[in-house]
Amino acid sequence: MALGVYLSRCGGLVDAAIDVDEALANVREVAAVACVVDDVFDPIVVAAIESDIREGGVDAVVLAGNSAEHLSKSLSAGHLTRRLVSAGVNPNRIVVANLLEQVALAHPGDRIGATRKAAGIIDVAALFATMSPEVESIDLEPKRSVLVLGVTTEAMIAAQRLLQLGYEVVIADRGNGSATAASATVLKSTSAFVRGHARCKFIDGARLVDGDGWLGDYHIQIQSNEGSRRIVVGGILIARPDSAEWVAELREHFRVDVDDDGFARPLDPHNHPAETIDPGIMVVPVRVDGTAHRDKVAAADSVAMALVLRLSQTTVSHYGDTSAVDEALCGGCATCVRTCAFGACTLDENGRSHVDVRRCRGCGKCVVSCPVGARDIVSSPHDYLIEAVRSLSRVPVDVGHARVIGFLCGGCGYPAADAASEFVAQRGQGYPVTFMPLRIPCGGRLDTLYVLEAFKVGFDAVCVYRCRQGHCHNLIGNLDMDRRINLLRAVLRSRNIDDARLRIVDISPTEGERFVESVEEIYVSIASLTNGKGAAV
Amino acid sequence: MSKPTLATVSLGGCEGCHVALLDAHEGLLDILGMADLVHSPFNGTETIPDRVDVVMVEGAVTTEEDLRRLRACRAAAGTLVAIGSCAVLGGIGGLRNLSPLSQVTHVAFGDTTKSPLLPRLLPNVHAVTDYVAVDISVAGCAPETELVVAALVAAITGQPHELPRRNLCDECHRTKNTLLMHSREFVSDAVYALMELDHIDEDSCLLEQGLMCMGPMTREGCGAKCTAMNVPCRGCSGPSRLDFESGGKAVDALAAILPAGALMYLEDLIGTGYRFTMPVSVFPAIVDTEESDNG
Ligand code: SF4
Ligand code: SF4
Ligand code: SF4
Ligand code: SF4
Ligand code: SF4
Repeated sequence: MALGVYLSRCGGLVDAAIDVDEALANVREVAAVACVVDDVFDPIVVAAIESDIREGGVDAVVLAGNSAEHLSKSLSAGHLTRRLVSAGVNPNRIVVANLLEQVALAHPGDRIGATRKAAGIIDVAALFATMSPEVESIDLEPKRSVLVLGVTTEAMIAAQRLLQLGYEVVIADRGNGSATAASATVLKSTSAFVRGHARCKFIDGARLVDGDGWLGDYHIQIQSNEGSRRIVVGGILIARPDSAEWVAELREHFRVDVDDDGFARPLDPHNHPAETIDPGIMVVPVRVDGTAHRDKVAAADSVAMALVLRLSQTTVSHYGDTSAVDEALCGGCATCVRTCAFGACTLDENGRSHVDVRRCRGCGKCVVSCPVGARDIVSSPHDYLIEAVRSLSRVPVDVGHARVIGFLCGGCGYPAADAASEFVAQRGQGYPVTFMPLRIPCGGRLDTLYVLEAFKVGFDAVCVYRCRQGHCHNLIGNLDMDRRINLLRAVLRSRNIDDARLRIVDISPTEGERFVESVEEIYVSIASLTNGKGAAV
Repeated sequence: MSKPTLATVSLGGCEGCHVALLDAHEGLLDILGMADLVHSPFNGTETIPDRVDVVMVEGAVTTEEDLRRLRACRAAAGTLVAIGSCAVLGGIGGLRNLSPLSQVTHVAFGDTTKSPLLPRLLPNVHAVTDYVAVDISVAGCAPETELVVAALVAAITGQPHELPRRNLCDECHRTKNTLLMHSREFVSDAVYALMELDHIDEDSCLLEQGLMCMGPMTREGCGAKCTAMNVPCRGCSGPSRLDFESGGKAVDALAAILPAGALMYLEDLIGTGYRFTMPVSVFPAIVDTEESDNG
């Protein structure tokens, strides 16, 4: 495996806070290429990485700089990833090391500590890039049709744009949507165009009762005044993100995140204001009373454009971010079947477990609950996570300073750690630099073995970040984790490890301040504990 | 050409594994036809010969004497076979690792000085793999006679030996019903002790009836004889992946299907999860507090 590591200065922000050469020192021993660049999005840099892949045989890439959240959502990052993939790197081997938000901006004024931490995070990304199996892709031709949920001004404008571009549009409303549209006093002509269009259908009194699928190919069962019907669309547009009913029904079947008010929210309001976790489902920003008409038009246009960008490709690639079963190990205990909140697991007639990849979200709950290790998630493999815990424990800390590992759920804790950089900037002071972040896809992916290992390798405390109740992007990953972790406390106590060293933090993706407070709290509380930390005998 | 030699040794165990071997009855004659038994608790020779082709070890390493004998076994053996959960996982006696040695000796012997002739207890119980490399391992307390015989025959004939790697549910006769349906409800609203239930269904999975069955966390191979007799598996064969803790995995798996509150009120969550595996868990012994370090 030839590893290429590209450390982005992020326009000078990263090298202002850390010593970039020092941060690369460890990884230079294992990497074929390890270099510092100004900005990974720079066309010249992209071309250089491509040539390392094509001519230098680089087949695993670490992009050290911006946050994973930023990189997985922004369009320019999507473009960068596609170029690296077409140059020949499997997408599971393109890994981000978050140096900007979670190191450089989080620890101003501690250059030595921040540099050590950056090196540790790069090492973990290198582990991921080299240990992860390749993911397989499924290519499909996107359906040129869109389901719009809720009749609003923005919905009608977006529908008009989509119809004009040749798409089919189904508009579902909980009440009488066609009547609402007809009675619209503003934009009468838009409404008339949509209602009269041959490729547009209204479904009134609609409820979403079942669904599965992906960007390009969603299968949805809708119950309405006229009975039940199944529709197949390429994308979904949530025009009523404030409708608790729509949002709850969608979240049963698709990856849609909610904000603190329970409204469907775009994942990255700054870079891509329409896109949810599921890339084929777009959110029209919540309407505030008195929103100017032109703003509604602009919002509707941008949402329609975002969907069109996705659906106008000739093929979309879905990489299998799913659970895989090793049949040689599965004995058919059915724990995974019961556990999977998405109904993606079944046992076949021989008693072996199977995954329905179209339903699987890669949340990892089944992996954790499989007692024989017959399951794994290709994009977050067990062996990598165990190795990452060990690797982070080797980051040097000054004598007398406690080490804490934070398992950050990708749906809440990780974006909150990114958001914490803004809070740090406001108050002008970082949080303890010996707090080591490790991203997991969902609180439900947290295996008790990782917590035990963390104590064994010498961490003084373990913090687990998980979504607030009712907000879990995998429905119940957070509650499952709570139950496991609370049972694990008995195990820790049996070895004289104070269970105050294990903390669960519930958090929302935007709560940077709470993130910082939670980190500082754990340092305060372990300072008063005398009773043994890990270090197995 | 002379026959290969065989020795069997008992360390800190109950000799139940040797009994499992004796249970082979005439089958033993086959083994004795293939190899010469040069040393064993059955024939009473004092010391382990310097050179033996196959040595079978039973029991955990609990005393300094166990450790000395284990090292002698390894030095002598061409092939070292660890038999039983004590040898492979530390076994049931390994639960003493939950307490510091001083407390163990206080409870066992009182405060009076013990005979200097007794072997000295090690601070913790260990599986034999903590000290020496093992060629073939068969866990189980005691392992099925056929498994012991098969391991010895493989060792004597130099054949590769492999144990099954799936969990016990694979060979259990019981059928699953509610576990096969996805639901956010638990499969049972409580966890029961065996005697609490008036009736145990003969054919459906014990977990679904609220009994703590360790089958999912346990390696198959024993033929699921306990669950066949209406007794839940206690996990004596240990986990099928040795780098997995059976206790940690019991928490991970059971918390997903049984109410955690009910599990917590189990008489002994630790003893249940780690009954046979404490010495090979991530923390094989209690971590001493600072007080006891100083004291
Ligand atoms: S990863 Fe999550 S969604 Fe996929 S099969 Fe496992 S539990 Fe179900
Ligand atoms: S939990 Fe593991 S062993 Fe049990 S059925 Fe699922 S994959 Fe198989
Ligand atoms: S494994 Fe069981 S039968 Fe064998 S020596 Fe240990 S306690 Fe006895
Ligand atoms: S009774 Fe135990 S071993 Fe048998 S199927 Fe149920 S859980 Fe598995
Ligand atoms: S069913 Fe479980 S407890 Fe019984 S012998 Fe088999 S492994 Fe041991």
